[in-house]
Amino acid sequence: MQEGKTPISRRRFLKTSLAAAAIGAGLQGPLVRTLVPEAEAAGSRPAGEVTSHFTACDMCFNRCSMIALKQNGVIKKLDPNPKCLKSRGMICARGNAAVKHIYSPDRLKYPLRRTGRRGEGKWERISWEEALDYTAEQLLEIAEKHTRCGVMFTPGVDSQSRFVQQFADVFGSYNITNHESLCLLSRNRAYLDTFGEMPYPDVLHSRYIIIVGANPLEAFITPDTIDLIEARKQGCKIVVLDPRFTKTAALAHEWYKIKPGTDMAFFLALCHEIVKGERYCCPEKTFGYEQFVEHVAKYPPEWAEKECGIPAEDIRRIAEEITEAAPRAMVYPGRRTSDYEDSTQIRRAMAITNVLLDNWDRPGGLLAAREVGVKSPYYDIPWYDDNPFDRVEAGKATGLFDAIGSFQLMRESVISEEPYPIRGWFSFKTNFMQTAPNRQKTIRMLENIDFFVNIDIFMSDTAWFADVVLPGNSFLERKDPVHPLQGSSACACAFMREPVVEDMFESRPPLWIVQELSKRMGFGHSFDFTIDEYREKQVEGLDGALEILRKDGIYFNPSKVYGIYAGSPLKTLSGVKEIYNQRYERSGDDPMPVYRRPDNPGKDKFRLVVGRTAIFTQSRTNNELLTEFMDENTLHMHPEPASRLGLGHGDLVEVESETGKDRLRLEIDEGIESQTVYMATGFGSLSPQMSLIYKKGASIAEILKDTHDKISGNAAMHETLVSVRKVS
Amino acid sequence: MKKKYAMVVDSSVCIDCKACMASCKVQHDLPRGYWRNWIKEKRADFSMGKYAYAHFQPGNCMHCDNPTCVHACPSGATYKDDDTGMVRINEGLCIGCGNCIVACPYSARYRHPVRRVPDKCDFCQDRLAMGLQPACVDTCPTKARIFGDLNDPESEAANLLGTRETVKITTEPEDTRPNMYYLAATEPMDWPGEVKYPAAHRAMTGFVNPLFKIAVGLSGLGVAAMFIKQLLTSPDSSGQEEKKQEEA
Repeated sequence: MQEGKTPISRRRFLKTSLAAAAIGAGLQGPLVRTLVPEAEAAGSRPAGEVTSHFTACDMCFNRCSMIALKQNGVIKKLDPNPKCLKSRGMICARGNAAVKHIYSPDRLKYPLRRTGRRGEGKWERISWEEALDYTAEQLLEIAEKHTRCGVMFTPGVDSQSRFVQQFADVFGSYNITNHESLCLLSRNRAYLDTFGEMPYPDVLHSRYIIIVGANPLEAFITPDTIDLIEARKQGCKIVVLDPRFTKTAALAHEWYKIKPGTDMAFFLALCHEIVKGERYCCPEKTFGYEQFVEHVAKYPPEWAEKECGIPAEDIRRIAEEITEAAPRAMVYPGRRTSDYEDSTQIRRAMAITNVLLDNWDRPGGLLAAREVGVKSPYYDIPWYDDNPFDRVEAGKATGLFDAIGSFQLMRESVISEEPYPIRGWFSFKTNFMQTAPNRQKTIRMLENIDFFVNIDIFMSDTAWFADVVLPGNSFLERKDPVHPLQGSSACACAFMREPVVEDMFESRPPLWIVQELSKRMGFGHSFDFTIDEYREKQVEGLDGALEILRKDGIYFNPSKVYGIYAGSPLKTLSGVKEIYNQRYERSGDDPMPVYRRPDNPGKDKFRLVVGRTAIFTQSRTNNELLTEFMDENTLHMHPEPASRLGLGHGDLVEVESETGKDRLRLEIDEGIESQTVYMATGFGSLSPQMSLIYKKGASIAEILKDTHDKISGNAAMHETLVSVRKVS
Repeated sequence: MKKKYAMVVDSSVCIDCKACMASCKVQHDLPRGYWRNWIKEKRADFSMGKYAYAHFQPGNCMHCDNPTCVHACPSGATYKDDDTGMVRINEGLCIGCGNCIVACPYSARYRHPVRRVPDKCDFCQDRLAMGLQPACVDTCPTKARIFGDLNDPESEAANLLGTRETVKITTEPEDTRPNMYYLAATEPMDWPGEVKYPAAHRAMTGFVNPLFKIAVGLSGLGVAAMFIKQLLTSPDSSGQEEKKQEEA
């Protein structure tokens, strides 16, 4: 629909464009404009027509459909696509700020090759030809010496990440990972091991929601964030357990300032009450209910109160209320569940509570993935005889996902060269230097990496340590394949992007980059297709999907929402909901969640928790607009310990853990649990070319220790205890 | 038919995500550090324990029916537009005195650091002309902001006003009669500042006839020709002056 034009009279628009132009021009000098009447000024310069173009946001993973308004070749504004049911026709602050993202002066402009030491920041500009030749040569050399698995790939989770993944597969490496082991693998693991599927919460139709370890009103998840407010309007009760007074807590009906790491105690006691009161309808639909009744007998609310600080009488009442509302009730599964060494078991306790609410595959409960119908075109993966048997960190966590693995565990293997060496790294739009706990260890890992190539649109902290940096184009410059999305009960949908503006500078799309590299490496035939041809294969059998996408910017598949299983067995070992997990028993993990008390920080130490807000984008918050809301992160501390330590609001403090230390300003926060401190992700950048966040605030990666969840291999980001001192 | 643009806000669904502020900023290319809209916060009282809550309240220029900024303007640059009910600024007539900025109890105006004229919400006139909602309304995730013409009984804004209890955030002793309605109840309510008129100016707006007032504006401008041009291009401006005189 790029050709679609907005109905607007030329004269009217002259005014806006001139106003905009005037501000821009005004930076160079004062304007005479103030002395000239509007109509007069408008006549003096030409202004182009405003055209509108469908696209989808790429500032986070939600991919909200948007309409870009373009004038004179420049994107002026990004508006929500009102037809997008997943985003409920909205664009958040980050999406609005995407204009500043693509027009940032910090953007990478041409290929660079490192000339100094890693991280020293000495670069030479090279041509694409040279960059591609050099990269292909280096990758092949490593493959020759250390097998194809000697190169690890981090393809990101972008619309074109599939091509980088395909490149890795065809190149022949299994060592592929993404950010998910720093994010939600433990949740995925727990729900897969209970329901056989990952859940999509039907927030909109729920009547009672317990939210723990999640903050959907700040960390946007569409449509959940918007639906939570709509459900609340319709009378849904919201109970939040959080050591911080988040905005989700601020708008909840009840908020419990829970001690961090004790969530499982609450859920075991809740389950205790539900089974004791015989409030669960259908034990026969589960595996291991009887064992579970016995198991939770030792976890009464009085016990939980001592552990988590939530009064026993409240736990009893909540158990009554939520079972009353069931099955239109849920424990919200959350997303970034990379928090504790038993984070999978914590989510298992939550998943089992959902089992007892009988909400699976039903309105207001947890839904299975819906059919979108977009295909993944087939490609051949060659066999290399000399490749090792498995991915490098295989077996290091009992429930590792074969296709994703764990970045932290891979990093250990790269450092130890066990069971085999990895000497190359190919990365697209992944920023472990800023997101993975123990940054110094990531830097140490690079000592064993002979060649590191990074594709991004910015010189991220990770790119800063690369050998070759390739400028990718931004999502607004790109023609992308069809991208399927799950939107809970709102929709099963897909979008695709057409370029709104041309590639800026010498930036290129990832597909072009892997096509050029594969030609040089002898498997060019694997990428011998255009995006248009690829799309055709993707939508085979979906009549008119591409036309609908062009007309509406989004395609919906009216597939079944509820009762997808309709009596057929679940994808678990037992074929029913697994309260007692048989596979865990075999792997030596607790088949039912067993409470593990978190370490007490002790006097004058704190547990560090991390999170995000609605106004920045994790490790890519180098944005002129967003940094106006928040130009550095702060350390949140309760006033009681702050006064005991002689710390005041705004003081520069040093936060130190066994892993590392960093400095930032203190923020006195009455809403935080007194033995907990909090800081947001995404600041304290090492790369000077992330100019707005360079050395601003502190980086979580520098301070967090790199322990992990024993089952999923997910990072455990809330296990770090820190001391805080004032910097004079 | 004349319009009466207004905004009805359901602050109970505001999640303080700042999307409205970001959208406005991009739409109008506002300079760093300056905003045309805001979200106020009623901070939590933690002595309430598990019931502690915060309340977020979106706002912007309230396009008042008793616009103190208009009364404070010596040149007629700031005026109440009869056709839309909006408070508007004709930058060509502005002398940059800043009276309107201090006269607004909501601090809805700021002096543009480059153009040196006051700037504030205009309900996105250019978007309205394109058939689009104001930028803040369009982007809002929870649709806390509802914009519309109160003279159009079919509009959602008029409908809400007719069916729901609303409150206005106003000032004492001078009631600004704002066109920003909040579905009851909203918090905070006590944040507007004082309406400040420069003493000398107050005398003038109170007693001096409209012609003289325009002359004051002209002297500030120092460009007589502009005046003639303005009369030709804004035929309704003298009517505005009379209306304002009645109110003052």
